[in-house]
Amino acid sequence: MRHYENLVIVKPTLTEEELKAQLASIEEVLTSNGATIVAREDKGIKKLAYQIEKNARGYIYVMYYTMEPSSIAEVERRFKINEELLRYVTIKYDSNREIKAFNDLVAKANKKIAAAAAVAEAKVEAEAKVEAKVEAETVAAPVADKTEEATS
Amino acid sequence: MAEKRKYKKRYCKYCESKVDFIDYKDTGTLKFSLSERYKIMPRRLTGNCKRHQDMITIAIKRSRAAALIPYTVTRKAVITNPFEGL
Repeated sequence: MRHYENLVIVKPTLTEEELKAQLASIEEVLTSNGATIVAREDKGIKKLAYQIEKNARGYIYVMYYTMEPSSIAEVERRFKINEELLRYVTIKYDSNREIKAFNDLVAKANKKIAAAAAVAEAKVEAEAKVEAKVEAETVAAPVADKTEEATS
Repeated sequence: MAEKRKYKKRYCKYCESKVDFIDYKDTGTLKFSLSERYKIMPRRLTGNCKRHQDMITIAIKRSRAAALIPYTVTRKAVITNPFEGL
């Protein structure tokens, strides 16, 4: 097993569902060849430094995985056939130094995902809090009105 | 001026911060070794050591292939700010 990284640029013209299906099929290409995906990094739609097939933007997706070196040719062949992919870049992490860097990158990517999940959770919690507050205010409001009436 | 430059001590920025691996996706660190036309700066100007210069060259070439950094900047196709939004 060897450590690899693949950066993939998907066409920006796809709809959300098509994009999801496309990313799933890309991961399927890897997993069907015996790869175990360790981390994923979703960079979203970014401006490209130069146009590829007349596209100024592209959806960038990065995958870190371990796979047998013999099946990398098959993966690249499958990527080449896919017309929705503008570009793919495969990086090999071979030496000890590079594998260490690979592990760092994986940890970073996973941390990012965890942080994003935490933020989403916090958002949900905050919304729940706001709702609770609004409810409390609506309960408190009539009482306040009554006291005002009493004073006037 | 020439005399001043003669005695200026040059050092490798990457050695100083003990960089072991340069990620091609991190365009911020690559920017240091790129000219304004996105050519790779020579070692005699940046003061990088051979080991780190080799790592940078590989990283820059990879990120060019991944369309993170332009290959060339010509007068016809001027990229106003390619690092914007990266």
